[in-house]
Amino acid sequence: MKLILGLTIGMAFGAILQLGGASQYRKILGTLLLKDLDVLKLILMSIAVGTVGIYALDLVDMANLSIKPTYVVGITVAGLIFGVGFAVAGYCPGTCVVAAAEGKTDAMVTILGGLAGAFIYALVAPSMQGLIGMTNYGNVTIPSAFDISGLWIAIPFSAILFLLMFKVLKDRYE
Amino acid sequence: MQDQPVLSWKVAGLLLGLLLIAATALVKPLGVSTQYVVTDAIILHSAAPNFAESNEYLNSYGVKDDWGVGYGWMLVFGMFVGGGLSAFLTKRFRQRETPSLPPMWKAEFGNSSPRRMMHAFAGGALLLFGARLAGGCTSGHMISGISQLTIGSFIFGASIFASGILTARMLYKKRLAS
Repeated sequence: MKLILGLTIGMAFGAILQLGGASQYRKILGTLLLKDLDVLKLILMSIAVGTVGIYALDLVDMANLSIKPTYVVGITVAGLIFGVGFAVAGYCPGTCVVAAAEGKTDAMVTILGGLAGAFIYALVAPSMQGLIGMTNYGNVTIPSAFDISGLWIAIPFSAILFLLMFKVLKDRYE
Repeated sequence: MQDQPVLSWKVAGLLLGLLLIAATALVKPLGVSTQYVVTDAIILHSAAPNFAESNEYLNSYGVKDDWGVGYGWMLVFGMFVGGGLSAFLTKRFRQRETPSLPPMWKAEFGNSSPRRMMHAFAGGALLLFGARLAGGCTSGHMISGISQLTIGSFIFGASIFASGILTARMLYKKRLAS
């Protein structure tokens, strides 16, 4: 049952990314070159909708939250490494799967590179513990830090994102 | 060539947000990058079982004699199926002149498929190394994490875009100069 649910959610996820153009190299690079911000705005929209929905569910105790630990230094370093890969590959770990399904052979190679990168991480994981332990604040969210209900943050945050999407971010076309 | 997306970012983003809410209600928020480790574990447990047993990180994903294919793995497999189906149905399957070369990349770096493959492989390795160090990727950390207002996810998102934007500018010097 869980497997079928996973397959169904995954199929919807893949189809949405494909239909929205997130699996296109030029859309990702367009965003990173700040020329075509569609992918960034797609992400912001999903967060603006998701955050309110998730914390509304949480209010009635129906959200299966999964909060990741905040280790400032380790996450910053990880993001810097990820960002280089993002620009060089032109895909992320999810969109390369979708792009591979579109018959793009470079995306298939990105999956192989990803398997290699995860393997290398598995080899060096013990020596990364220092980085992860440093400045580790645990599973902290903005509402938990202020000890308030999530919706109090989610609603204004979502409003800011809508403002950002529709007012602030303007595409610069070539 | 049909390379315009079928859905606008507004509609696609809305649908993705709704899917994230549904997934959070039914199982848990969306995530992808863990499944690369799971896949490595599946492969290594059959190819080099002794090594796989001895690696603590690989062992932390899955339990003995039951490696791999669970909810999360099926989700990523589903992404392949769903993405392929929608590409096929909207006539966007195999639209490139050369399957390995994005036209934009070709305009900057030329027609070398091996060179593109090197970029694609190295990029993939960096992506997953970074994602495993952070504990998630664009979906798990950025979309799901920021939606849950996780502080580390905001840091991850800012860090990704800072280095991604800088790297893209270094890669596309010719394009930016013209």
